[in-house]
Amino acid sequence: MIHTGSSKNIISFICNALFITLLIIGVFGLVYLRSSAMKLEYNLGDLEKTKMNYLRERKTLLAEKARLLSLKKFDVSSGETYGFIFPDRIKVIHVKRQKESLPYRASLESR
Amino acid sequence: MNKKRAIILSTVVIFSFFAVYLRLIDLMILNHERLLTEAKRRHIKVEDIQVRRGIIFDRRGRELALNLELESLYCDPEKLDLGNDGVIRLASVMAKEPEVILSKIPDRGRFVWVERKLEPDTVERIKGLNIKGLGFIPEAKRFYPKGELASHILGFVGIDNQALEGVELKYNRYLKTTGGKVFFGRDAGGRILSSGVEIEAKGNNIVLTIDEGLQYLVEKEIDTAMLKWKASAATAIMMDPFTGEILALANRPAYDPNSAGSVRDSDRRNRAITDCYEPGSTFKIVIGVASLEEKVVKPGTLIDVSKGYIQVGGKTIRDVHKYGILTFKEVIQKSSNVGSIATGMRLGKDRMYKYAKLLGIGEKTDIDLLGEVSGWIRPPEKWSSTSIGAIPIGQEVAVTPLQMLRAYSAVANGGFLVRPHVVSEIISPDGQIIASFRDKKMNRIISAKTAETFKDILKSVVEEGGTGRSASVDGNEVAGKTGTAQIINPETKRYSKEKYVSSFVGFVPADNPRLAMIVVIYEPKGQIYGGVVAAPVFKNIANQALSYLDIPMDDDTYQATLLVSK
Repeated sequence: MIHTGSSKNIISFICNALFITLLIIGVFGLVYLRSSAMKLEYNLGDLEKTKMNYLRERKTLLAEKARLLSLKKFDVSSGETYGFIFPDRIKVIHVKRQKESLPYRASLESR
Repeated sequence: MNKKRAIILSTVVIFSFFAVYLRLIDLMILNHERLLTEAKRRHIKVEDIQVRRGIIFDRRGRELALNLELESLYCDPEKLDLGNDGVIRLASVMAKEPEVILSKIPDRGRFVWVERKLEPDTVERIKGLNIKGLGFIPEAKRFYPKGELASHILGFVGIDNQALEGVELKYNRYLKTTGGKVFFGRDAGGRILSSGVEIEAKGNNIVLTIDEGLQYLVEKEIDTAMLKWKASAATAIMMDPFTGEILALANRPAYDPNSAGSVRDSDRRNRAITDCYEPGSTFKIVIGVASLEEKVVKPGTLIDVSKGYIQVGGKTIRDVHKYGILTFKEVIQKSSNVGSIATGMRLGKDRMYKYAKLLGIGEKTDIDLLGEVSGWIRPPEKWSSTSIGAIPIGQEVAVTPLQMLRAYSAVANGGFLVRPHVVSEIISPDGQIIASFRDKKMNRIISAKTAETFKDILKSVVEEGGTGRSASVDGNEVAGKTGTAQIINPETKRYSKEKYVSSFVGFVPADNPRLAMIVVIYEPKGQIYGGVVAAPVFKNIANQALSYLDIPMDDDTYQATLLVSK
């Protein structure tokens, strides 16, 4: 009987210790999860801020691209610097394609 | 002793708990609302959703109006601490006088704008000054990357992005959108947590019928003409004669919509639709079309104009030259006033008025731009004894350049009156087409045969012996008509001998028209005739536009595919 009683006490002691440990782990776990969630929210907030900054920059770059690609700018600056001109169909002649034209073969194989 | 201590301890504990309960009642019941509001104020940040206007594109998807993200500087006067030289440093960064900045900051209040929509580098430099009481708020600035280009079509917005002119105003309800509020959580240190929602609301995008390339060509050429002829103003419109799509529309003087607030009102006027002028000989389309449709004349009908003048209601109207006997086709080709009036008299004023109205004279074209005027033609019962001699040659009537272009487009497209428009599609931010202005039904106003016959007559105007020879284009036939009209002097109420309006209106290629165009030059100096002043502008624009659009020459063989530069 004495033996049985002491074994019950040991089980009860282990259960109590386990319960207290679980409680403490649970509390700390909750605190940890809460702080992780907060950290995640901070990170998301920062990322949203970064996203907004990039979007802002993108808009500025798009505007700059649109400004630089204006035909007026291209005609004036590129025309003077690189000699680009607007297409002029009068300066183009049309040459009729010959149906029979084939590349000249230097090989003697077919001869 | 122990019992006494236990009683004291119990009493202290009980009272302590009681005090805590009382405080809880105070916090949770008595001051609940006030404290809840305070907590929300500290932990929840409310911001306006940033509203952004939609983008305006040309017909090939090139941006003509978009938004820049800038920051505006505000001041909290109660917290402002400029120190000894703060205002001087701020003024130097902003390139303004210190007095100007100080004049914007009142002694009291919590918010006042110091400067709106600053450049990013200026913002960084101001932030570097670390002046307490200054802050920044992000704002969108409408930006027109092409500057003056198509300014009269696009219009502009004000400092608060409120639409003020042009497509911006006409289509404001599509371009703008509603905002609202967005809630952010923040901690005790003020750090913002994720909101999880989009904090920007975008308006719908608009696709114009305008082609930036054609618009540029038109603007470049009328700039050249303005310089050459020292003209007071100029207008040119290019339109697809079959659909009414405006491909280019330009006026001079013009303005840069990025700084629209600092330009004169007259520069902002869209003369193509708001200004009326007496069309002169370009109005002979009414006589031509009406008399052919009513079978009053045929192209070969002979008309004696040998006297070189005609008297109507006691007024003598002369031709520039004496021509002898002309066919009706030659009357139009040489722009004979005498021949046109004689034909007009045979036609009669009722039928002349009827066809003027059918061709859209005195009626708004219903273009999707604001400020259009209807022009002016009196009903026959109000004509004077000289009107039958004036109206056939484009006097006593007032038209807009767009009305004349639409009338000639009816000849180009086989007899239909189109509705000019500058917007082709409205597209939602996620790419769905909300509205499309394509495939609208058109009304037939003249028979295809009449249109074809008059087209042949208009072709002769640009051929040898015609008044519009200098509008001819290499490789394609042009059909059109010159116009030279005197301007009424507002002081004398008579036609001025110095001020004229020179114009040319036509279409190309004549047999398969792709472009209808009008060029109007106001008050040219040195020369006055439409065939000398306006027709070469038409030619220059048409030559480049046909190349730009890769429209084949009339004699091109489609089998020839190899292109070689000369």
